[in-house]
Amino acid sequence: MKNKKTLIVVFVLIAVIGFFAGLYAGFSEKPEVGAKTVYIEVVDAAESVKEYTVQTDAEYLRQVMDEAEGLTYGGADSEYGIMIDSINGVRADYTLDGAYWSFYVNGEYCNYGIDTQPVADGDVFKIEYTLAE
Amino acid sequence: MRSKDIALIGMMTATLEVAKTALNFLPNIELVTLLVILYSLYLGKRVFFAVYAFALIEGLLFGFGIWWIMYLYIWPLLAIITLVFKNVQGRLFWALLAAAFGLFFGLFCAIPYLFIGGPSMAFSWWIAGIPYDFIHCASNFLVVLVLLPPLRKVMERFSFNQ
Repeated sequence: MKNKKTLIVVFVLIAVIGFFAGLYAGFSEKPEVGAKTVYIEVVDAAESVKEYTVQTDAEYLRQVMDEAEGLTYGGADSEYGIMIDSINGVRADYTLDGAYWSFYVNGEYCNYGIDTQPVADGDVFKIEYTLAE
Repeated sequence: MRSKDIALIGMMTATLEVAKTALNFLPNIELVTLLVILYSLYLGKRVFFAVYAFALIEGLLFGFGIWWIMYLYIWPLLAIITLVFKNVQGRLFWALLAAAFGLFFGLFCAIPYLFIGGPSMAFSWWIAGIPYDFIHCASNFLVVLVLLPPLRKVMERFSFNQ
């Protein structure tokens, strides 16, 4: 009886894993392959704006940022990819004053780090120096 | 609350923080789930003080961002579930519970995004993290299956009034 219950729980867990995998396959954002035009707008601490237009085959944002002429960035590698702390030499130090670089894609807050943020043709990325409220 | 309780809560908090920090470099492989289950089983309601103290330290170390709100309910939730089933002995049960907790971790953590960006933001945030939830599920299962029985033996050598 006890083994039967355990078996049922195991099957339910496997079914949930399968369901989640299906959701991920169906709904996760996927990169497009091919020539794309991607726009990056950097708003720094002084609220001055720099715009970059990149023609790219990149699948993820990091590669687009690498290809954007004049755009530099720095950060620390973590288990989830690079954690950006400086853009164009401007450092945002959260521990100092709650500042960080926030990333938006087409006006929406990015759900991924730059290593895994998919890039589509016509995407407009905004990288903004932000102070935590 | 007696001084012994305060000492126990302090030790629980310290071990939670050390365990979390020690495995920080591995994505979603952690010992916090194991320890919260263990402490809930043997130290009862005192575990709630420890998980909130742990959350406070994490907030002080990494900043009180949106992720921090999740810490206010995700670990107490695990403690409550453990207390409900505290009389169950089988290691497989606890390993499966930890696996399920890891699997649903991202879904539970997506709740604050419901209030910030609505259902679509919460949904896409959760979906993006599903591969990490799978790692969390598998690692929790193995960690609890292997480490819970010897840790239970250690805890049973002491008497803790619940």
